[in-house]
Amino acid sequence: MQLGKSRVVALLAVASIVATACGSSATASPTAPAQATNGTPATQAPAATATGLPATDTTVYPRNETLYTSGKQWGAPSTWNPMDPNAAMGVVGLQYETLFLYDPIKDTYTPWLASNNVSDGWNSDKTTYTITVRQGVTWSDGSALTADDVAFTINLAQNTAIGSNLFTFVDSATVSGNTVVVKFKANPAYQEWMQWLYNTPIVPKAVWSPLNNADILKNLNQNGIGTGPYLYKTAAQDRMVWVKNPNWWAIKALNLNVAPTYIVDIVNSSNNVALGQLLSGGLDLDNNYLPGIAQIVNGGYNITTYYSGAPYMLSGNTAWLVPNTKKKPLDDPAFRKALAESINPNDVVVKDYGNIVAAADPTGLLPEWNKYIDQAQVKSLGTTFNTAKAKADLAAAGYKVGSDGFVTNKDGSPIKLNLEVPDGWSDWMEAENLIAADAKLAGINIDPTHPDYNTVVADRNGSASADPTFDLVINNDVQIGSTPWTYYDYIFRQPLQPAASRNRNYEQYSNPTAWALVQKLDQTPVEDTADMQSICSQLQKIQLTDMPVIPLWYNGEWSQVNNTYWTNWPSDTGNQVQPATWNGYWQMGAIFMLTNLKAVTH
Amino acid sequence: MRRYFGRKILTYLITFFVAATIDWLIPRFMPGDPVQGLVSRTGGLSESASKALYDYYNNLFGLNQPLPVQYLNFWTSLLHGNLGLSVYGNGTPVIDMIMGAIPYTLGLLIPAILLSWWLGNSFGALAARRRFLDNTVLPIGYILTATPYMWLALVLSFLLSINFKIFPLAGGYGFNLEPTLTWLFFTDLVAHWFLPFLSLFMVMFGGWAIGMRNMIIYELESDYSRYLEALGAPQSLVRKYAFRNAMLPQITGLALQLGVIVAGALVTEIVFSYPGLGHLVFAAIQSGDYFLLQGIFLFIIIGVLLANFIVDIVYVIVDPRTRVAMRGGTA
Amino acid sequence: MTAASEATRKPVDVAGDGEKDSAPQARRTRGEIVFFAVRSRKFMISAGLLLVLIGIAVLGPIIDPTDPVAQAATPMRSPTLDPGNWFGTTYFGDDVFAQFANGLRASFFVGLLGGGLAALIGMAVGFTAGYRGGWIDEILNMITNIFLVIPTLAVLLVITSYLKARGVLFEAVFIGVTSWPWAARAIRAQTFSLRSRDFIDLAKLSGRRGWKIIVTEIAPNMSSYLFLTFILLFGGAILIAASLDFIGLGPTGGMSLGLMLFDAVTYGAALLLGLWWWFIPPGVGIVALVGALYVMNVGLDEIFNPKLREM
Repeated sequence: MQLGKSRVVALLAVASIVATACGSSATASPTAPAQATNGTPATQAPAATATGLPATDTTVYPRNETLYTSGKQWGAPSTWNPMDPNAAMGVVGLQYETLFLYDPIKDTYTPWLASNNVSDGWNSDKTTYTITVRQGVTWSDGSALTADDVAFTINLAQNTAIGSNLFTFVDSATVSGNTVVVKFKANPAYQEWMQWLYNTPIVPKAVWSPLNNADILKNLNQNGIGTGPYLYKTAAQDRMVWVKNPNWWAIKALNLNVAPTYIVDIVNSSNNVALGQLLSGGLDLDNNYLPGIAQIVNGGYNITTYYSGAPYMLSGNTAWLVPNTKKKPLDDPAFRKALAESINPNDVVVKDYGNIVAAADPTGLLPEWNKYIDQAQVKSLGTTFNTAKAKADLAAAGYKVGSDGFVTNKDGSPIKLNLEVPDGWSDWMEAENLIAADAKLAGINIDPTHPDYNTVVADRNGSASADPTFDLVINNDVQIGSTPWTYYDYIFRQPLQPAASRNRNYEQYSNPTAWALVQKLDQTPVEDTADMQSICSQLQKIQLTDMPVIPLWYNGEWSQVNNTYWTNWPSDTGNQVQPATWNGYWQMGAIFMLTNLKAVTH
Repeated sequence: MRRYFGRKILTYLITFFVAATIDWLIPRFMPGDPVQGLVSRTGGLSESASKALYDYYNNLFGLNQPLPVQYLNFWTSLLHGNLGLSVYGNGTPVIDMIMGAIPYTLGLLIPAILLSWWLGNSFGALAARRRFLDNTVLPIGYILTATPYMWLALVLSFLLSINFKIFPLAGGYGFNLEPTLTWLFFTDLVAHWFLPFLSLFMVMFGGWAIGMRNMIIYELESDYSRYLEALGAPQSLVRKYAFRNAMLPQITGLALQLGVIVAGALVTEIVFSYPGLGHLVFAAIQSGDYFLLQGIFLFIIIGVLLANFIVDIVYVIVDPRTRVAMRGGTA
Repeated sequence: MTAASEATRKPVDVAGDGEKDSAPQARRTRGEIVFFAVRSRKFMISAGLLLVLIGIAVLGPIIDPTDPVAQAATPMRSPTLDPGNWFGTTYFGDDVFAQFANGLRASFFVGLLGGGLAALIGMAVGFTAGYRGGWIDEILNMITNIFLVIPTLAVLLVITSYLKARGVLFEAVFIGVTSWPWAARAIRAQTFSLRSRDFIDLAKLSGRRGWKIIVTEIAPNMSSYLFLTFILLFGGAILIAASLDFIGLGPTGGMSLGLMLFDAVTYGAALLLGLWWWFIPPGVGIVALVGALYVMNVGLDEIFNPKLREM
């Protein structure tokens, strides 16, 4: 009686899960109101091709043909619009491609959807740039990539909904045969143009022309049409699945082929689960920060990282200590310098990260930009960790030690600086404790806190009616790229952006000379290395003397791989390519990680 | 009957209204702007892109309107079944995200609750009879009911998943499968379901067993039991009556425990990354997504009230005295 | 379960009539109570366990004064008999025993304060609703229902965001303010059955005021029941606190058993690296503490109510 009832109910419950799991995956696209505007040409999945691969129809993925990744996706994949920075893993890079690829290790550009060498596009006085569109590239619906598509993509930047500043220095883009001639305004931002060349996905005019309006971001673009090596297979709340495009242009043109037939990207959950999957062979590539990875790499689990020893990881961005330069005593460069001298980034590197990161150079520039660092100047002006010197500098600047052992303001009021990091970012929470402990030894009272993420952002940015209230935050917003201009833009940008969307110059540091230099840097052609170096040197001088931000350590491009099912991963002794699935890294050469992979025969 | 249920329904409706209002109000007081947080997470955008994205999302979520208007919008959309858009899901409707997660949570909760209630009560009743069984069931029951849900989940995961590799570690179904009506998929689904179900089941089982055992003993010591025994009624008859009387508090107990059980399911899902409501709540907490949280909690409120109502109905069916009382008589 | 059946075991008040009579609780002499207490196996074992746990909580941090978050020792050492390493170290190099002892202290504190506060509120609401009846009863019932249904997580989340730092005190108060509903119901049911008795009528006739009657006549008659309710609330508060800490909504700074579990799973990947000494002790501690409380609850019930003595 009761036995029967509860059994039936249990069966019903399980049946309902099965039914809904089937249902929810088949209709993974959320029923957003924009469904109606989702361009109809984009919904056809390409049929099996002449090569006979039925890959798009299978529902069980063979292990030796599937690559399991994780680390980029922090929530269910909800949009595949290449112009939305929240698009699912691989939309830009695997499905949509860019004109060039940039290799930060070698500092070279590889022609991709464009076929000219990157420096050959300029005319003699660098007022126009001619893009030669590669012939023989097809979209996934079979139509050909033409110069019209490229010109259309460039002109899309005029749509304010996309928020690109391209047309502040570009005048026009016109088609001429199979090339696109881009005409610039006076004093173009050459550095930003190079960034555009390798960062912007090319989209088909036929699909996007009717959608080019203020609502362009609302299109989810599920199962979109791109030129890339992968096609949309399926998505669910916890995964994103790509399937190989058998008609990828690079197979014939460059004799390249991506190895895995399926790529399954798993949505991040917890460190525990990620590590478990990695160790058990359920994950091949993981781009999460995993504490303890250094022990595991040497522990015989068949897991490797880019470097076989410290620092194990490539550097992806710099973590800075950002002071609010509008508040006392952080408005005093001498105090900031003393603060920098009191902190030992090596503490964080060793105790917090176990040597999987590296301490930052006093300029904060990533190792890839070493040639832009004026080493002699750094030797003379750069700060190094020295508690005694910090104390002496504080005293010399007029900060007296109070009765509690901490320095006070010049007017005698106590100094207590609140250092904020987002709650849950465990490595940063650890780091801020270590930083506070170091600073206290020099007499600076730092109080490490970890409010939730949105509160930190609100404190850091302020609002339309209130100034930012933070004292100190740790921030690492700007990633590696083709030019150090991005870093100097981050430090020196003027004027201050509106609070709600601010993502530069959080420290609100105002130095018109420095900003003029940054703009000059932007307008320097990338081939003029000497000019760039000279401007960088001047910027570094200002940065090292005024200390608007304090560089701490280089955050790693977290990447650990399991060699059980796939080998020939990127490494410093093997193929030196980027090993990350994060946004922006496919076009920095991570695509070659996939072409170099070899399946392990079992 | 109508008066009795009418009063109950009225109480539940008022409770729902107040709870929903509080549920709506509370996240609005969270400091920090979730859209700003969302835009900030994308990091490294150009200035104009940043601003464009911020405006787009603000508009999308309707956050740029005054509070009273937002409140009215909340009730109108609620009555249309629209719970707003999720920040964590980049604009996916909350109702879609919840609907995707609910089957997993219900699939855990319903079998676990029913099975543990039935088995727990049976074992408890048995234990009250036999001393030998009592000595084993009792300590196990106490240990189980004193165990925090997530710790049992951790231990089970450690033993069965990591050490002995019998069951998978996380997820709703394997990452190498797509949902299809095949035997392979079904067994995979059950394999992923089993550990979270087991940990919920075990903790609840302990509680019911202990409770029932105590109730039966209490009933067996009461006057009517003694009287029946004195009259020479067989033990089985006495036990049958005792059992039925002991059931009643267990039924109401079920309603009272619902909040605790739901919380237990949430933490269990977190441990196993099981894609149910608990997992969604955890993600919403971490991204500060108030629409999603508000929507999920509204669901939980409705679910608990519904369950309470069902228990009330069951109680009336099971206990004839209430029916008599409702008609104005005395038992 | 245990708590729920306690709440509903005594007269269940479905139709709102509150007619079922409960067993009279005769006053027992102190000597009698002690006599039965010593003979009750349940009581002795659970009391013993509690004393051991209290001992660890009080003396532990004195014997092992390491700061639980100092990260001074070698990381990931398994337990040995060396002082300061009885429970091994965590991934970060913290002394697990120090964390455990300090965590126990925090658990006791949260349990006592949270459980006590919940008991007070439950008593206030339950007595008033049960004694007065009528529309006051209806309103209080509704309030009880609302508190039962509101997702406490949402409230905690908001309050958490406001406070940059939250301590154990805050958590205890929060738990106290949200976990009283079932106690209120139970006490209300009991009060219902008692208020129609003769001695209450006598008290009313002699002109005593309402709350005075509650305090001097009704409550003492239910004293053992109230005490048992408090014990259950104590145990419940500890479990709730552990869950909150586990999600990460616990006190910032300081240490608690739930926080140890949170750290072990989220940051330290303890399960995968095999650091069983990090996540097993806190769980065992919680189980022991709460289990001892529940067993003591039943043991005391048997002592106070001879009908329940073991067969």
